[in-house]
This record gives sequence, C-alpha cells and structure tokens, in this order.
Amino acid sequence: MNSLFFPALLTGIFCYLGAIETPWLFGMSGGFYIVGRPLVAGLLVGLAFGDIKNGILCGLAVQAVFIANLSTGGATNSEITYAAYGGIGLAMATTKNPAIAVTLAILIGQTFGLIFYNGRMALYSFWNTRAEKAAHENNDRGIVLNHLVYPQITTFLLRAVPVFLAIYFGKGLVNWLISSIPEIVTHIIQVLGGVLPALGIAMLMSIVIKSKPHFIFFLAGFVLLAFAKLSMIAIVFIAALVAYLYYLASGKNTVSTAGSTVGDNDQTVNTDDEYEDEDLF
Amino acid sequence: MANSNNTEPKKLLSKHELNQIWYRWGFTHLSSMSYEKLQGHAWAYSYLPFARKYYKNDPEKKRRLLERHSMFYNTEPQTGQLINGIVASLEEQIALGNDVSEEMPVTIKATLMGPLAGIGDSIIQGIIVPILLSIGMSLAKGGSPVGPLFYIIAYGIIGPTISYIAFHSGYRLGVGAIDTIVGENSKRITDAFNILGVMVVGALAANTIVLKTIAKIPQGGKSAPLQGVLDGIFPGLLPLAMVILGWWLVSSKQMTATKVIIIMVVIVTLGCLVGLF
Repeated sequence: MNSLFFPALLTGIFCYLGAIETPWLFGMSGGFYIVGRPLVAGLLVGLAFGDIKNGILCGLAVQAVFIANLSTGGATNSEITYAAYGGIGLAMATTKNPAIAVTLAILIGQTFGLIFYNGRMALYSFWNTRAEKAAHENNDRGIVLNHLVYPQITTFLLRAVPVFLAIYFGKGLVNWLISSIPEIVTHIIQVLGGVLPALGIAMLMSIVIKSKPHFIFFLAGFVLLAFAKLSMIAIVFIAALVAYLYYLASGKNTVSTAGSTVGDNDQTVNTDDEYEDEDLF
Repeated sequence: MANSNNTEPKKLLSKHELNQIWYRWGFTHLSSMSYEKLQGHAWAYSYLPFARKYYKNDPEKKRRLLERHSMFYNTEPQTGQLINGIVASLEEQIALGNDVSEEMPVTIKATLMGPLAGIGDSIIQGIIVPILLSIGMSLAKGGSPVGPLFYIIAYGIIGPTISYIAFHSGYRLGVGAIDTIVGENSKRITDAFNILGVMVVGALAANTIVLKTIAKIPQGGKSAPLQGVLDGIFPGLLPLAMVILGWWLVSSKQMTATKVIIIMVVIVTLGCLVGLF
C-alpha cells in the first residue's frame, strides 16, 4: 500500500497542472491542451507508476473517447482532467487494463469531475468579487492575490487532494469491483471501450461538418484509412491539398458573385440534392 | 489633452513592456475563471505594469484603467490574443493623451470576443488539436512514448506561437485588424481549414473506433465468420455505422453526450447478450 503513496500523489499534482485554470504552463496552451490531454496523461501517469508502456496504452484508449472534449464559453460536459488522471491513475493502480481506464474515466468525468468543476466555478466568484474591489481601490497587491494566489490554492486543493485520495484509497474498492463482476460484464466493457470513441468523433463531426455535403470529405478520410491503409500523416497531407483546392475554388465563387442570383440558385440546388441523399442514408 | 500633473515626457511601450502584457494575460487568462467573470480579471492583472509606467502619479486614471479591465470577458485565449494586441495599442494611445475615448477598448473587447471565440474554437479545438492528437495516437500504438512526446512538442510550439503572433499583429494593426478577422478572405480560409479537419476526422474515425462482430453465418455445411464477409465488402463498416449513428444523435437529435453514452451502452449490451459482438 505504501508504494502507492508517491504515484498517487504525483498523479494528483499532474491533475492540478493539467487543469484549464492552471497558469504555470502558459495558461491553457500548456495546461489544458497539453498536460490535460489523456494521451499525455497516459505518459505522465505511466512515469509516476514506473510503467510507461501500460500508462500510454491506457492514455490512448481514454484519449480516443475524449478526442473532442470541448470547452466553449467555460461550459463543459465532462471534466477531462479529472477523467484522465482519475481514470488512468486508478486503472494503473489496479489492473492496468485500458478498457477499465476508459470506464473509470467516463464515470469519474461525468460525476465527480463535473461536481468539483462546477463547485470551483462557483467558489471563484468569491475571489472575483474581492479582485474587483481591489481594482476599485487601486490595490495592486489585492488584484494579484485574488486573481492568482488564492484561486490557485483553492484549485490545487480541489484537484490534487481528491485524485490522490481516490487512487490511494480507491484501489481496494476498484479491485473488489473488478474481481466480483461476471465475465459477460467485463466483455461488454471491453467492447464498449472500442465503441465509445464514436461519440467523441461524432461530437467533433458536429462542429467541423457545417453543411451536409461536407460529409463526403469525412467519408473520403475514412476510406483512405480503412481501404487504402494510409498512415495518418499521409492523410493529413492529402487533406491539406484538398483544402487548398477548396480554398482556390471558393475564391472563384466569390469573384463570380457579381451576378450573384445565378450562383446562389446553383448552390441551393446543390445542397438540396445532397441533403436528400443524406436522408436516404 | 493636458498632462498637467505629469511633467516627464511619455514614451511608447517598449518591446519588453508589450511582451509583459502578452505573457501576463497568456499565463493567467483563466486563473480565476468563474461563470461570473471568466477571463475578466486577467486583464487587470496584465495592465498592472502598464499602470505603474503611465499612471504613477494619477491614481484616478489608474483606477479607471483597472476597473474597465475587470469586466466579464471570454474568448478563445490563444487566437483571442489579437484583441489584447488591439487593446494594448488603444490603451497606449489613451495613456499618451491622444484622442481615443476610454470607452473604445471596452467596446472592442465586447464586440470581438464572440467572433474570435468562434474562429479560435473551431480551428484550435476542432482542427489543430484533433489532427495533432490523431497523429500522436497513431504513433503511440503499442505503448510507444513517441506519440505523446510528438504531441507535447508540436502543440507546445504551435499554441504559444499562435498566441504570440496574434498579440503582436493585433498591436501592429490596431483597429484595422478588425477587417482582417471579419473579412471575406478569412471566411474562405476558415472554410478550407474546415475541409482539412473533416477529412482528418474521417480518418480518425476509421483509426480509433473498434467494433467487430463475432457472429458466424452458415455457408453450405460449415459456418464462416460474418466479420470476414463484412471486411470483403467495406472494411470498418460497423465503426462507420456507429459514428454515423452518434453524429445523427448529436447533431440532428441535439442529444447530450450522456444520453448518447447511455444509448451506446444499451446497443453494446444487447449486441453482446445475443452474441453479435
């Protein structure tokens, strides 16, 4: 049990560093976008537990589900940092099974993660009020304390401590759960781990596919990998070429909008055609 | 504009002071984020050295500066640095006593934060991060640390670079930058990036979703695995069906992620119980 102390503690600290509100690594760029990603979390937790390979495999599986974690306007539907570090950390402390990491990450992200996240967002209003008062009173020190120091202490306590406790004391519970569930449930979790990335990708599609005809580009990307077995990097280059052609073509369109009615009609007919096709699918 | 209580001549911001505004906001934009203020207070924090430089002897002006930069503010923090650049050039003009009203920076912040959040979120969260992650994930197959390291280095360079360029071009162009953001050409570029994103997401779907059937179909006397037949027709047909279902639920049915997870759990559970998966 004692050997779990430092890995759990490090995981808790990483969970703080990967939070959206942590300033140390150039704000969101290094925190949320780098340390907060499950793929990176896998490497870091793997390092903490001294088992990089399994850490990365767990991170890979969790990353696939959370590929499209979006945080627009401060609202989030699943807390990715708690999910990544809590899920991967607990999985590394017990079975090191990627499917278990995914299941735990989703459970933690959707429940405890959201509770802690929303709780912190509410708590910070208290510091905001004090920072505003400091600005009103020309109090430089008050702004620094209430914008930077106190909020960061709050978030450290709300991130590092629960994750540490969950991994340190949750190990027994998770082990018991895993050993006592029937085999069919394990099988379902295994299959589910492969299927749930579909949700992340579906959410990504709903932001990048802005009109139905764009679906054909999605299909092209899918086919290039599934049939042609091209590598991801090759596909990025092909996609960049297609995007460039699209850019050139759209330029032609805007130039010719001098006689705009004809062009507009053309376009609406086009989209309608594709739209009907889409519904038939 | 008389600077009666300040006799020393005022100078433009030095490169160092500009960078100070850039990194102060860049490091702490969300440090005190709440639903009430979001990135609001990072502005006041980033203008503290500025206030010390220009308003040392004028507490009233300093107070107004800090107050107008303590209001609610929220945008994509990397591309959004463009606004910080524009505002820095305006605040500099105000401090130098030129004819720019103190309302101007506030108005600029309020009008630009929405459009820049839209552009920034779809390009960074929708395209750049997923592309880099998908490359990283394909490099991490089998547990190789090359995958995460690739992502850390690639985004570690790209994220701050976007932020730096956005801030300094915002400062250089000043209010003129607004045409560049909302202009026709920028829409074409965003659309083209979008196509790039859509194709990569398609490849990502084929690469990450794993769903195979274990059912067997009778063929003459013996039985053959159904998956083999499906692979002959369309490799990855089941993952494709699953992602299209998910997309349809999310975009057409407006379902939340939690509901889609529940639906997928039900499908997989039933599929496993009848021996399909």
